[in-house]
This record gives sequence, C-alpha cells and structure tokens, in this order.
Amino acid sequence: MNFHDVRDLLWLATACYGASFILGMVKTRHRFPNVLQESPFLLILAGFFLQTRALYFRGLEIHGCPLGNGLERTQFILWSLILAFLLLRLIWRLNLLGTFCAGVSLLLGSLSLGLKKWDFPYWQADGYTRLFKDPWIELHASIAIFSYGLFCLLAVVSMMYLSQRQTLLSRRPGFLGPYLPPIQELDAAAMRLLAVGVSFLTLSMVVGIMHWTRHPEFVSHIKLTVTTALWIGYLLLFVMRISNRLYGARFAKWTIALFAVALLSLSLVSSKTKIQAYKPLPSSPLAYQF
Amino acid sequence: MSDQENTLFLLGTSHQVASLNDRETIGLPNDSIQKFYLGMEKLTGLEECLVLNTCNRTEIYGAGDDSFKIEYLMEYLADFRDLELEFIQKKTYRRTGAEVVRHLFEVASGIDSQMVGETEILGQLKKAYDDASERNSTGKVLNRLFQKSFQAAKWARTNTGISRGQVNLGNVLCELARRIFGRIDQCRLLVVGAGEVAESALEAFKSRGSEAITVTGRTFDWCPLSQRKPDELAQKFDGFTLAYSKFHDSLHLFDVVLASTASAKALLTKAQIEVAMKKRPSKPLFVIDASVPRNVEEAASTVDNVFLYNMDDVSTIANENLQSRLSEVDRCRVALSKRALRLWEQMRTYPSLPS
Repeated sequence: MNFHDVRDLLWLATACYGASFILGMVKTRHRFPNVLQESPFLLILAGFFLQTRALYFRGLEIHGCPLGNGLERTQFILWSLILAFLLLRLIWRLNLLGTFCAGVSLLLGSLSLGLKKWDFPYWQADGYTRLFKDPWIELHASIAIFSYGLFCLLAVVSMMYLSQRQTLLSRRPGFLGPYLPPIQELDAAAMRLLAVGVSFLTLSMVVGIMHWTRHPEFVSHIKLTVTTALWIGYLLLFVMRISNRLYGARFAKWTIALFAVALLSLSLVSSKTKIQAYKPLPSSPLAYQF
Repeated sequence: MSDQENTLFLLGTSHQVASLNDRETIGLPNDSIQKFYLGMEKLTGLEECLVLNTCNRTEIYGAGDDSFKIEYLMEYLADFRDLELEFIQKKTYRRTGAEVVRHLFEVASGIDSQMVGETEILGQLKKAYDDASERNSTGKVLNRLFQKSFQAAKWARTNTGISRGQVNLGNVLCELARRIFGRIDQCRLLVVGAGEVAESALEAFKSRGSEAITVTGRTFDWCPLSQRKPDELAQKFDGFTLAYSKFHDSLHLFDVVLASTASAKALLTKAQIEVAMKKRPSKPLFVIDASVPRNVEEAASTVDNVFLYNMDDVSTIANENLQSRLSEVDRCRVALSKRALRLWEQMRTYPSLPS
C-alpha cells in the first residue's frame, strides 16, 4: 500500500466506504457497543479524507482539477456526494442516509477503479497542457461536479424513498422499512436537494457561459447541447415538483433516471480535444491499457 | 437449600401457573394493599417485603432472617384472601435465592410477560418499588435487588431484540403512520365508526401526542341514540365530531383515516379516494380498514400515495414482530441468568456493600 499512490488511496477510500456500508446495515438489526456506535460515520470520514488526498495528488499531477477521465469524474462526483452528505448532516439528519451514500460510493467507486480503461493517463500525452487553463472554466467544472454530487445524493434519497414505499406497499415489516426515514421526510429532503442542486448547476452554467462567450472554440456543440439539456431537465423536474405535477414515486424514479443520464453523459461533456490528443508514451507504465 | 439462600424469597402467581379466574381470586384489591403490608409486618423473621400487584401477576418479594419460612407468607396470603392453603400452594410459585434474582430480571425485562417484550411491566415494577420504599418496607437487600433489576431490564431492551417492533394493534398502526408521516403528533386522524379497534388506535395515537382527532359514524345523522358512542369516543380523546354526510368531502383534510364500522358495503370507494387525493396530491394518505366485511375498496390501494391496510395486514405485522421477539427470548434469558447469578454471588459475598 503506497499512501502517495492515487489508485491505492482510492481503493482504500472505497474499502472504508464499503466497511461503513456493511457496519451501517448490521447496526440496524444489532446493537453495537457504545464505543463502536459511530464507527460507520467515522469510516465515512476516513474514506472522505483518503479520497480528498487522492484527488489532491492527482490534481498536482495534472496541474488542475482532476476531471479528465472517467475515473476522475466518477471519484469527483462521489467525493461531492460525501461532501454534500457531511454538510447537510449538520442541518438535518436522515436515518441510514450515510449508509446508503457509503453503499453508492462502494458500488461506483469499485466500478470506476475496476475498469482500468477509465483511468487513461491523458496527462502523459505529448504536448499535454493543463485541462483548464482558465480559472473561470475550472470554477465552472468544480461547481458543476458539486451539483452532480448533490444530484447523486438526491438519487440516494429517492432510492430510500422507493425502498420505504415498497416496504409499506408490501404490507410486511421488511428488513429495512422500520429503520428508514418516513417517506414524507424523504420527500421533503429530495425537494430541498433538488432546489440546492439546480441552484448550483445554474451557477455553474452562468460561469460556463461567461467562458463560452469569450472562447467559443473550446466548447464543443455536443458538450453545449448535453449540458444545456441536463440543466433544462433538472429545472423542469424542479418546476414540476413545486407545482405538484410530479411527486411521490414517479418523482423519485425521475430523479434516479436523470442522474443516470447525467452520469452516462459525463464523457460527452469532457474536453474532447485533450482526449483525442492523447498518444501514450512508450515508457509510460500505463501504456499497456491502450 | 442453604440458610443463606432462604434469606431472599418470592411467592407469586402469574399467567404462567394460573388462569385469569384464579389470578383474580388471588390478586389483591388495590384498596387492601395497605392492610396487606401491615399484616406482613407481623410475620416472624420477615425483614423486608415488596408487593407487585398487576392484572397479570401478584408477587411478594421479601428478605428475612433464618427464622422466616415462606410457608408463613403462604398461610398469611390464604388467610388474607380467604382461600384454601392448598389452592395457594397449587396456583403459586415459590422461589428462593438466585432463582428470585433471575425471576425478577426476567419479569423486569418483559420476557416473562404474556406479551413478550412489553414495557408496561417495568413501570409497574418501579411503581411497586416506590410504594414499598415509601412504606419503609424495603431495605438493603431489596433495594439492591430492584435497582439491579431495572438496570438488567434496560440492558436487555438495549442489547437484545425482545422489544423490537410493535405487537399491539394500536401501536402497529402508529408505527406505520410514523413511517409515512414522521411525527404522529402532527397527523390528523379521522375515525369512521366506534369499534374496539378504533378505540385501541385512538389510545395509541393520543398517547403519542396526536391532538387532531375527529370521529364520525354512519348513525350520526339520523339516530340520536346511536350518536352516543361516537360522541363519547370523541369526548374521551378530546376529539371533534364530524357529520357523516360531510366526511367524504372532508377526506382530503386528514392524514390517517380509520374505518371501523359494521357496514356490509364499502363506505370508501376508489373513486372517492381519488377525488380526495387530487386535493392533496403530494401528501400521502394512510387508510386503515379495521372492518369485517371491509369498508374500503381494495382497489383504492392502487391510487398513488395511498397506503391501505386491513386488519389482516396489521395482524400479520404484529405476529411477525412477535415471532422476532420470541426468537430473542432464549438468548436474553441466558444473558440475564448470568447477570442474576453474578449479582447473587455478590450479595452473598458482600451483603452490605453496594455491588
């Protein structure tokens, strides 16, 4: 284990999230000794620290915000998810939210690390220049990814909503039902997360437009279309929710579907020119991946 | 049995050894407790005593010196209740020493209760202890024993699953309402009819702070005599009454609707619930059909944001929770037994020191 290696650190962070998820689930049915009561939360904190350190090292390596390949984008979103969870935990608490966040981080984190192609070393390409030379576009990307983290948290809350609803409709006690938060609280939490997420995404769009008007050559049509479509999608969802045209289970399903679309479209909103410019160096240790 | 073991004893009856009739015969009327305590003071060798008298059990805990014999107490109880000594011998259990400690731990934690894991008994036990303390009839032995039994009960409820899930119908309904709305005290409850289930549910909701309780009934509008029962129910729980003719139009104002009437036809149809839900689209509606035959159309459960439960569903949940509790009883019993033995050893070794 090398504590300066990005991938090692990310694997360790994923393991912490995994342990937190398992302990959180076990804790619902079995009482822990007092000293271990907060262990799932402490493991999330440890995972977050390790993930932050890994992204920091990767940032130093690429001289910018690490958003250049699939692994970096996924890890940045998961980092934002945990950050959003930790911040919102100060305002309101939902039972098992941390456990569900840890579960999603375990799943997506393992997937992004397992698929080595996602971590292509674009910064080792001939003539690689910083991904974001303009600090405004770096700000745009950071805010956008943070809003994705909030939408990821929204999808997690929606999953909890659907689980609770399904248990209630099944008319059985269920495994998690009694421990999940009430559906009305989950609904209110989803509404707040959507409002905050849309606000951040709108802010990132404003910053992005400022950059685009000055340097339109850096922004591809696909990126522009996908980003705008996602923004409109979330805005529409927000409007439909506050006007009570979309609510309950259908709203929850839409938030999950839209986040899945956002996740899948991430590769389209990256800086394509940099990826296409990548030619692996013969001496590169990661050259075997291509 | 050693003399030392004889210093702590218990004489009692409960659902485990006696029928309801027998328990009623042996049980002490509330107004005779004082007299019973006074009579016990005269028993030779009895130094401390405590009476636990509930609807399900009558138990006398005591500590005495070597001259005390539990037979004295049996004779006194038979005499006090005007019963044959043989009847008392047959319908009661006697315990001494470590067995008393173990029994009390099991009673306090609820695993000896008819409804396993219920918490009411702990409150009754504390009340009995306070009562005995006020009468100065407890001393160092019973004080220590009862304080430890309260701790053991807390440990058992915290560390085992004996209190997991609700088993009382009213409490199950409240738990379901909590999983839908969160805060029970803010739920608006409408009761249609005035059956036993309705009363049980109202008690459970009221005990959790629910204030907005409304009662209506089919006979409300046309039969002045039948008005009595729903009216009484509303008064009992500080609720409101609603004319039956208006209840369909007011359905959207309530979060929980409990139907408990003897009507042979459905009082709430899917169409009526759909109309109500259009007025509160994003707010869930919890409908409980506690009637046989059913008063709410089953198809209403397909309406978005409507959670419909009938009595079979509620009973199934209560039974599954009860099974879950029962599966924990053995584990709990073993753990409590170890704690009891440890306490008894300490009591024997250091009789005057707090353990």
